[in-house]
Amino acid sequence: MTVSRVSLIVLLLLLMAAVPEGPSRSTTPELPPTVELQTFAPREAMPVLGHRVVEADGEAVARLIDVLVDPGGRPVAAVLDFGGFMGVGVRKIAVHWSTLRFEPGEGTHRIILTLAPDEIKAAPEYRDPEKPAPVVVPATPKPKPEQQ
Amino acid sequence: MPRKRATKTRATRCLDLLNFCIAGEQTGFGPFVAVYLAARQWSQVEIGFALSLGTITAMVSQVPAGVLVDALRGKRNAVAAGILAIGVSALLLAVWPALVPVLTAQVVHGFASCVLTPGIAAVSLELVGRAALGERVGRNARFAALGNGLAAGAMGLLGSYVSDQAVFLLTAVLCVPALVTLPFIDAKPQPPPRRAATRHARRAELVALLTDRRLLVFAACAALFHLADAAMLPIAAGELTKREGVHANLIIAACILAPQAVVALVSPWVGRTAEQFGRRPLLLLGWASLPLRAVLLAVLPNPYLLVAVQAISGVSAAVFGVMVPVIADDVTQGARRFNLCIGIFGLAATAGGALSTTLAGGLADAAGDPVAFLSLAVVGLVGTVVVWLAMPETGTIEAED
Repeated sequence: MTVSRVSLIVLLLLLMAAVPEGPSRSTTPELPPTVELQTFAPREAMPVLGHRVVEADGEAVARLIDVLVDPGGRPVAAVLDFGGFMGVGVRKIAVHWSTLRFEPGEGTHRIILTLAPDEIKAAPEYRDPEKPAPVVVPATPKPKPEQQ
Repeated sequence: MPRKRATKTRATRCLDLLNFCIAGEQTGFGPFVAVYLAARQWSQVEIGFALSLGTITAMVSQVPAGVLVDALRGKRNAVAAGILAIGVSALLLAVWPALVPVLTAQVVHGFASCVLTPGIAAVSLELVGRAALGERVGRNARFAALGNGLAAGAMGLLGSYVSDQAVFLLTAVLCVPALVTLPFIDAKPQPPPRRAATRHARRAELVALLTDRRLLVFAACAALFHLADAAMLPIAAGELTKREGVHANLIIAACILAPQAVVALVSPWVGRTAEQFGRRPLLLLGWASLPLRAVLLAVLPNPYLLVAVQAISGVSAAVFGVMVPVIADDVTQGARRFNLCIGIFGLAATAGGALSTTLAGGLADAAGDPVAFLSLAVVGLVGTVVVWLAMPETGTIEAED
């Protein structure tokens, strides 16, 4: 595997250039007594940014690229990136947080969009973070039955 | 002398392959970087910064890179360095998508691209001489379009079915054949370009070039061309995704590939026609097809026709790709500012393109897509009128003073 070897060498060279020299940090510093450490299993907390979003049938339709939160820090909407070929024609649409279902798991997290393609395709694009965000919110709460 | 002809044929084929590989290398950069970084947990602000940094680098490097290529005696070495730099940028993106390496890759790629465009033109000029430049750059454009189209197809499949890292690994791999071709493109030793004796005379020569009407008018035309052109596909593709949902992807892919096929078909004809009938008829054809396409996009009833309309962009792209080096050579007449000239045209083009997506994107948001398309049509029309009224025929003008 020449490619990976070459990339490894490039990586090492850049690491040597980028890492500032200083005292070694091999010993983990103690946490101050005001905080403590808790560990969350993958099925209790999952990363979402950059994650693929699938439809109920498992087909990947979008990618979650941003989360809009309220003043309390609770998620209000997710910004999803739809469509496109090699980055041309991508469309960012904000959907209400309640339209997503999260299935954290060991290694295979899933984010499922419960809206049908027809429900989002006419939505205005989310572009400017400074302006009021257009968010697709279900008209009536209609959680879809689980299909697996 | 059959052996000499064989060498020449080999050099021609190798230059074909060089154009093919370099265009393929460039395919993964650009908008795909945003998709790639979004999947690497990059925030939208960071992605915007990285892309802007790449655009700004590509803009400010055009003229310095042209001057650099002019100053270098071995143009092939400049091309080799550019190929390597793009390979390293691709590897950095693939293996280490953190902030500093990605920003480094964006800057290195931006500068290297600005070296490669004039570098390839200079190598071509050295290989075939001024008389056959039009035909040769037509051939360059054909193989670049083939490389671009095939790489876009391959990378689209790789990105969907393997991993988006594979896109940048393929980019890096394309470096190898590109580098291998270089030693075989051995032009016969050229007489060093004439150079004014004194510093004063050199400065006067530079001022004369920079105030040359042909250079200024064509730079303005290049800026108007990309101001009209760059935003058309992104806005049309966004609209398509809106109407067709996720199934728009195949149509968008066709909209990217069809113009490349047209460029590959017509570029050699453009190069030959430029030599036979002059530059102006082709310039008018290339520029006039911009407002035509914009108006068609504004009134288009059926998204499937979008592919056909986008194919028209292949004609303007072929004309533009061939005309930049040809007119740079017309203006400099074999003097050593050939690459500076290409750099100036490149600066005008990238500035127009960057402005296009910003302005027309904003207009599409505020007033709707048809208004944006019609505004682009007006810009394209202005460009055509400037070509018609102000751009002289550069092909038949004798060497000045």
